Amino acid sequence: MAEQTPVQIFRRQERQKQYRSGTFFLKLAVLLLFILVPFLFPSFKSLDLALKIMIFAVLVASFDILLGYTGILSFGHVMFFGIGAYSVALLIGKYGNPTYINLVIGFIVALGITSALALIVSFLSLRVKAIFFAMVTLAIAEFAIILATKLSGFTGGEDGIIMSMPGIFKVSFNMGKFLGVEITGRLITYYFILVVCLGLFLLMIRFINSPLGRVMQAIRDNEPRAEAIGYKTFIVKSISICFGCLVSTILGGLYAMWVGYANPESVLGIPIMLDVLLMEIVGGMGTLYGGLAGAAFLEFAHSFLPDLQNFAKSLFPGAHFLHAAMERWLLIFGILFIMVVFFFPKGIIGSVQDFMARRKTAPSI
Amino acid sequence: MGLICAGSVKRYLGLCKMNAKNTEPIIETKDLTIRFGGHVAVDHVNFQMQLFTLKSIIGPNGAGKTTFFNMLTGQYKPTEGQVFLKGQDITNLSPADRTRLGMGRSFQLTNIFPMLSVLENVRVAIQSREGFGLNFWKSYLHFSDAEDEAYELLQEVLLDEKWSATSAELTHGEKRKLEIAILLALKPEILFLDEPTAGMGQEEVPAILEILQRIKEARDRTLLLVEHKMDMIMSLSDTIMVLQEGRIIADGEPDEIYRSEAVQEAYLGGGTTRE
Repeated sequence: MAEQTPVQIFRRQERQKQYRSGTFFLKLAVLLLFILVPFLFPSFKSLDLALKIMIFAVLVASFDILLGYTGILSFGHVMFFGIGAYSVALLIGKYGNPTYINLVIGFIVALGITSALALIVSFLSLRVKAIFFAMVTLAIAEFAIILATKLSGFTGGEDGIIMSMPGIFKVSFNMGKFLGVEITGRLITYYFILVVCLGLFLLMIRFINSPLGRVMQAIRDNEPRAEAIGYKTFIVKSISICFGCLVSTILGGLYAMWVGYANPESVLGIPIMLDVLLMEIVGGMGTLYGGLAGAAFLEFAHSFLPDLQNFAKSLFPGAHFLHAAMERWLLIFGILFIMVVFFFPKGIIGSVQDFMARRKTAPSI
Repeated sequence: MGLICAGSVKRYLGLCKMNAKNTEPIIETKDLTIRFGGHVAVDHVNFQMQLFTLKSIIGPNGAGKTTFFNMLTGQYKPTEGQVFLKGQDITNLSPADRTRLGMGRSFQLTNIFPMLSVLENVRVAIQSREGFGLNFWKSYLHFSDAEDEAYELLQEVLLDEKWSATSAELTHGEKRKLEIAILLALKPEILFLDEPTAGMGQEEVPAILEILQRIKEARDRTLLLVEHKMDMIMSLSDTIMVLQEGRIIADGEPDEIYRSEAVQEAYLGGGTTRE
């Protein structure tokens, strides 16, 4: 047998410890936590928080494919999330009955519209580069918000569209108890979304670990060089944009299924895009898992920082300055954000990966 | 024709493994000219290069060497004139299409993928050559042959010990070696090397020289070189072309160029001593 090269030895070792490494068990533990949330923390608030972390983690990961892996900054990413949400809402909330078929059609229509629109956005990337491309996508996203707001006859305007879910996803659906927890339509929807999110996340991992994923990273690093070695960078960037946008669209549909409505503020708004950007920065660009850390950080902050006011009042009833400070929880959030960026410039996951790489004797690639 | 694939380009040009004879020029230009505003950077250059030879382009700074190079490899579109590869007009093809036709180039400034590992830099180039760069349904680990070949190429340029390092961490000389490995991974018929030793310390130059010597001796590739180091050019080149102010002032074997009064006047400043 021919002598193995260091690369082959490294790959063999990597395969051997693939399912025995600490990171593998950590990932498994996180998945288990999401599965057990309804049993460990049986309140709607916890379930809602877990689901939003889940959806935004995958949404940020899909945004990471564009920004972190291909180097494309698009402010229009959440618009595709909105397209998914509105398609589902229109099909089962406004122009059709809440049936499984309509739900599926809603997703199919959304994916069709997204494919066409993502291709147009891709073509724009040919004409305008970098920050100008970002500005154009911001303008398109803003245009989508205006359309959704002004075409009130079609989209429900600022109020949006309220819908009820079909069959087992209906809020009133109840299958009885299991391990002391009511198996309701909400819980079934939660697990359905968990399975789809997991599938999408695994798909994205495969995508970035494919030969194409490496080409995307090469383009991010040095586009003219990638072109000089024979890649049609426009095609690779288009695939990346379309893939990321399609994932975002599916997530939008799932989000609408969970909240039961779609309006411009909740599924199209620029503040959501900014949240996604913050999650990306906090979690770490080009890590995919950073989305989970970023989404958890922001969603926890959004959920629990407003409660700090009551907490401070009960703990220190006479400390009026503290109460006043806690009322302005967004200020605390801002300080927290600055601290994370300051101490973890590569984001939480990026910094942890750096730390692990320094500890390892054989660096991973 | 945006989505032109490797196969269709080859069919389009009728270049599928054609057996070019050594006497036919593999690459040729006719009246190649480029103007930037009122400035003529390259002026009606008629250039020819034979298969499996090493030709160098020299000239003082601003002579138009890199600009000429950029037109050959498609980075710049000429204002006038044409570029022919094996007799076929490739003037309007993109750099990517030219690469697929067997033209590989390195750049004057180090041009690698800094955040990828050294091995990945080469593997990405192999992917391009083998045509599985757009595969997104299989893991890159599935293509172990490409990885083995990438490692072999790193051995060839004496960079195998750094295979797992992030390429941004390499020294300048190592980055130049990596560039050559990337280029070799494309298995180009013609290698365009733009100042491969630029910015290198004296101690790093012999390694590059050795690599180029080995490529030349294999006589299975055509090399076009832009370089300032005269001793290197004189020892390596089969022929040398001298550019001045965008025009050819001499073209011939190293000894002819060495004796040429026009070259000595224009480029070597009248002296005859080699650097």
